Amino acid sequence: MQPGPTANPALDGVRHIIAIASGKGGVGKSTVAANLALALQMHGQRVGLMDADIYGPSIPMMFGLGHVDPHTANFPVQKFGLKLMSLGFLPDAGKGVLLRGPMVAKWVGTFLTQINWGELDYLVIDMPPGTGDAQLTLCQTARLTGAIIVTTPQDVSLIDAVKALNMFRQLRTPVLGVIENMSYFIGDDGKRYEIFRYGGGRKLATETGVAFLGEVPIDPRVSQSGDIGEPIVRTHGDTPVAKAYFAIATAVIDAAARAGSEALPEVQL
Amino acid sequence: MSAGSELKPTALCREGDGLAIDWNDGARTFVAWRTLRKACPCASCNEERQKPPDPFRLVSDQEVQAGAPQPAKMVPRGHYAYQIVWNDGHDTGIYTIELLRGLSAPR
Repeated sequence: MQPGPTANPALDGVRHIIAIASGKGGVGKSTVAANLALALQMHGQRVGLMDADIYGPSIPMMFGLGHVDPHTANFPVQKFGLKLMSLGFLPDAGKGVLLRGPMVAKWVGTFLTQINWGELDYLVIDMPPGTGDAQLTLCQTARLTGAIIVTTPQDVSLIDAVKALNMFRQLRTPVLGVIENMSYFIGDDGKRYEIFRYGGGRKLATETGVAFLGEVPIDPRVSQSGDIGEPIVRTHGDTPVAKAYFAIATAVIDAAARAGSEALPEVQL
Repeated sequence: MSAGSELKPTALCREGDGLAIDWNDGARTFVAWRTLRKACPCASCNEERQKPPDPFRLVSDQEVQAGAPQPAKMVPRGHYAYQIVWNDGHDTGIYTIELLRGLSAPR
């Protein structure tokens, strides 16, 4: 085992920490994070999935999990071979979360430092949208292997994706690449429909000099699978969507291995 | 600039009353603890610096006990910065690599 990616003991056994981010909400970050984490696990990796979307935690529902008793539960919660942590596991989370930035940062920091993640090949972090406290705390508390930017094809999503990408660069966090979600839809007539336009993700990757990791088509079974608590890579492994995730997982494994950004040296005081 | 070619410290070490830093471009620089403490980039220190100097400000007991600024701890933060915990308890300053380079002088 290589040295852990952080001085934080809770993450000492984690080889790669990958943030799934976007500037804009609603691009499908949580769906991508859940399916990518499972696809990595189905490639034989040991994987954790941390839901850093403190305001809108959706990972418990996507994995068919509800609230747990925080006094008796073992965190991280295990499901489908993944280790999971989310504020949505806590009973009070359903009441709506009205939190100022410092409290969001506190929760993200708590998940990173107080949860015993154990030995993992990948810890996938589902980030909230935007470029704020949660992102900053993450980049300060964990030495990320890299970030993946999720976008939908249209320009209005790309504007915010560029902001997210620049934020990670400012924090010297490698950007492993871009995933274009909701790229196109194949109708029952076999025709391809580019509902949100097409090619924005690849354009973003080219213009910013990062890798394009892949595109995920629209398929109503994605949301059905999410709602029944079993992501599509498990329920419909032979669909184009699932195959896209398996290909993206391979690209992420390669990109993470290449990223290898060295940790900053410790200070000799 | 790619992550691999970015300016980075390769070694940081206490030297007398300051910090000596070796860089990946071959430079060796030094910055006094006092300079680092005065340039703390946290929001409250920034605000404090923008106020006119107050000749009647009373030094707190903690500041008196701490004496000259010394780091109790200096830890890497992610890939881009170091956090210094000072002997007076102040710990909110995150010093980016660029700031450390800018504050330190070649030697």
